Amino acid sequence: MKFNHIALLAVGTFGTLLLSSCGDDHNDTGTQYAPQMYDAVGYEPYRQVKANTINPYGLNMRDPARGTVARPNYHTSFGKGDSTTKDLMIYNIPKDSIAIAERTLVNPIASNAANLDEGKILYGRFCIHCHGENGKGDGLVGKEYAGVPNYSVGDYKTMNDGHIFHVITHGKGRMWPHGSQMTPEERWKIVLYVHKLQQG
Amino acid sequence: MSRLGKFCGAFALATTLLVNGGQVNAQDSSAAQGGGGPAVAAAAPAAGGGGDVAKGKELFTNNCQQCHNTSEVALVGPGLKGVRQRTPSADWLHKWIRNSSAVVASGDAYAVKIYNQYNKVQMSSFPNLTDKDIDGILDYIDSESAPKAAVAATPAGGAASGGTTTAAASSGPSELFTLVLVALLVVMLLVLGVLFVIVNILSKAVSPQAVGLDSTTPTVPLVQRLREGLTNTVSNSTVRSVAIWLFLFVATKMSIDGLYSIGIQQGYAPKQPIAYSHKLHAGQYKIDCNYCHTGVNKGKSATIPAANICMNCHGVIKKESPEIQKIYAAIENNQPIEWIRVHNLPDLAYFNHAQHVNVGNVQCQSCHGEIQKMEVVEQRSSLTMGWCIDCHRKTEVNTKDNAYYDKLVALHRKESREPLKVANIGGLECSKCHY
Repeated sequence: MKFNHIALLAVGTFGTLLLSSCGDDHNDTGTQYAPQMYDAVGYEPYRQVKANTINPYGLNMRDPARGTVARPNYHTSFGKGDSTTKDLMIYNIPKDSIAIAERTLVNPIASNAANLDEGKILYGRFCIHCHGENGKGDGLVGKEYAGVPNYSVGDYKTMNDGHIFHVITHGKGRMWPHGSQMTPEERWKIVLYVHKLQQG
Repeated sequence: MSRLGKFCGAFALATTLLVNGGQVNAQDSSAAQGGGGPAVAAAAPAAGGGGDVAKGKELFTNNCQQCHNTSEVALVGPGLKGVRQRTPSADWLHKWIRNSSAVVASGDAYAVKIYNQYNKVQMSSFPNLTDKDIDGILDYIDSESAPKAAVAATPAGGAASGGTTTAAASSGPSELFTLVLVALLVVMLLVLGVLFVIVNILSKAVSPQAVGLDSTTPTVPLVQRLREGLTNTVSNSTVRSVAIWLFLFVATKMSIDGLYSIGIQQGYAPKQPIAYSHKLHAGQYKIDCNYCHTGVNKGKSATIPAANICMNCHGVIKKESPEIQKIYAAIENNQPIEWIRVHNLPDLAYFNHAQHVNVGNVQCQSCHGEIQKMEVVEQRSSLTMGWCIDCHRKTEVNTKDNAYYDKLVALHRKESREPLKVANIGGLECSKCHY
């Protein structure tokens, strides 16, 4: 009889331990009290509660129609007063026509301290890990990637607005296109900062 | 399991460090040899154009190193060891380096061959380099490749030390592993010893001899004594009531905690379809969060990167890794990668990343924890309403250089001396987040 108590205690302890260890499952979201309040009724792009019956792969997200331009994110006029410039920021020059970009494009964004600062921040976000802090091609990823040029030597020193903008958008050589990650406005700000780095 | 994972991670990290350290050492020693081999370098210029090796090294580092090695190993372009011997003439090399595309366009057979061999990647032009500069670079390349041959012939001094460093580095990881294993074993043995001592003391405490009944009778088997001792303890009413109260207390606490954890996913760290490591990308390589999560400054969602962003680097780096191959497969089959969402904010609460990160200047880590140290992303914060409100009460509004807040700050100053907090501008209003 008394021995039974001990066995019971042992089983109880073991059971509790077993149950509490299950609570630590990192793959489990746990219990939800009111899923109908938690899960969106409308289609959410980044939350897939059940398979979508209309779209391929059962996803809520779909590719936008080809050539879609996200207008609300874009500024079209730059500068103030008489020096205002208009630029629709639609970039239609194809990847293989870098020469056209070099000849025709001019940075619509004024080269001032504020824009240059923003360019530096954006450079830090999108370029620095390959091109390095000073554009020497010595970023932490750049060292492993290899073939990242030094902005301030050879013909890199004199590359113009259009060239840099085109390369950010479409890539060139070993560099892949980065147009999808930045708005044209952001790319132009980076161009401003790259010009600063070209001076060494 | 997780401890094992951590251990493996730490071990892998240590191995990489050691191996990398080995490479650095090996490079250092080769550089030292390069510096220590001016005799060979001095011989080379006589054969070349009489350039300046030191200047050549500087020019090589700035202009060429990004795509070329001084050894035979090809990087983006060919390895440059023996480049003077294999190219048509010194004059040809000068022309090629200043403007390689013109040489290719002229139809030069060797130029076209090289151009095609290296995937038709146009070499950059360096029109500003003089003949003397180029000779300097070439002399530097010769001086880099020549000493290695000399070293191979005389296995003494620098070569020996270089050799030992590499050997030590390659045997390093296994030595470390053994060390860790031995340390673990010692700790285990110690624990075992302590346990044995405890059992001994306990058995003495419950044995009849300790009570002083009879010190000469032969000892009863340990298990039986333990059992008797335990039965005595369990049948004691005080012990029983304490145990029951303790059990009730723990059970109540556990059920309350359990109830509170309903709908809270703190600690959720699902296994993702591709073993992407934030620790490697954001930690070791310091790639900005924005590079992949491009929406974080612009919109509600920080966005999960599409495969094209992975390809910006992995079009070249680690292409053959099985995890990277999964991205390739997804792209080739035009199939989405089904990442598992970690932070699931309920639909009844509205949250906007741009508002917090861009306007409020809140760091990613303040909500997501030390992402740059996570091998697998885990939900660190509770994401409960209490957690939101707590932060809104404490956090000052980032009003600097933002004209939108000017009047609000002025009004707030009239009423209070405290700095403007999020709670003061409606951060506690229900309809700010629930609508």
